[in-house]
Amino acid sequence: MAWGTFVQKLFGNKGSAGLAKDRLKVVVMYDRLGLSSEQMEALRKDILETISRHIAIDSDRVTIDFHSNQTPAEVAIIAPVLRSRTPGESEKRHAG
Amino acid sequence: MSGRAIVITSGKGGVGKTTATANLGLGLAKNDRKVALVDGDIGLRNLDIIMGLENRIVYHLIDVVRGRCQLRQALVKDKRFPHLALLPASQVDQKEAVNPDQMREVVAQLKEDFDFVLIDCPAGIEQGFRNAVAGADEAIVITTPDVSPVRDADRVIGLLQQSLGDPQLIINRMSTQMVQRGDMLDQQDVLDILAVHLLGIVPEDEEVLVAGNRGTPVVLNEKSRSGQAYERIARRILGEEVPIPELNGHGGFLHRLGKFFTRR
Repeated sequence: MAWGTFVQKLFGNKGSAGLAKDRLKVVVMYDRLGLSSEQMEALRKDILETISRHIAIDSDRVTIDFHSNQTPAEVAIIAPVLRSRTPGESEKRHAG
Repeated sequence: MSGRAIVITSGKGGVGKTTATANLGLGLAKNDRKVALVDGDIGLRNLDIIMGLENRIVYHLIDVVRGRCQLRQALVKDKRFPHLALLPASQVDQKEAVNPDQMREVVAQLKEDFDFVLIDCPAGIEQGFRNAVAGADEAIVITTPDVSPVRDADRVIGLLQQSLGDPQLIINRMSTQMVQRGDMLDQQDVLDILAVHLLGIVPEDEEVLVAGNRGTPVVLNEKSRSGQAYERIARRILGEEVPIPELNGHGGFLHRLGKFFTRR
């Protein structure tokens, strides 16, 4: 390997192969799951309902991502928590 | 005699299924095995021209299925190896002109007379794929180290596992230079994703195109690197222990160091 290439690698420019591999891992995992868009939507709806029963979240900004850098692969749900609290909680705060 | 029927498939088109079928067929014939090649690509036949046998076709697979001729009348004998024969596809029919049961019957008949029946599968995962897989006992999946062929290979591997079990993998058109500069998936990257057994690696080689022009597949050219790779793969199919040469510079210290820094 040329020195220039080595320095590039040192600073995190890994060439396009690393990117190809990361992208393939994700896309292949989705393909293997074989979830239809209806099933994805149902999953999303169930997750939103479950979390919303306990925490106020911004349901428009919830993302569901699959990661395959770990084995086994992971599903990550990112749900922004809304600042406005439920009435019960804010009363407790004021009291304290 | 009951031979082994092997389907060569990929999902994605243009990755080298037909070239691989021709070269593996010739490679096995060079090792004194009786080999029948079946062109499963009805309507888009190409195995004949890659083999250099296009001028000698009289009947084809659909003629056999329709009873217009005997199976042996449709077989085109290769003059280079008298125990190698091609069953051509029809160029004028549709994929639906044959069904999986008929393919199974034709391949079963061929297995009685040949040690190996290699079936060249069409691209895609529809009827043509189902036909080509129907008569096979085992499968070889071929891919190039590019994102879309690898993705499609994974899909096809999943489908094959439902019927034939785990296929073996050939990685075609590998470029040492591109792997070394980090711009091509190397063999380990591909295996990490596809998780199947590696049967062999064929290097990128301009000779493949020249061989196609001439109708004399690279395995007949002992100086060609890709031809040597196909020869080794043929011997592995026969059960010989033939090591896969390192094509990707993995052993270099700087390369490994580079990978160490860039891996998460």
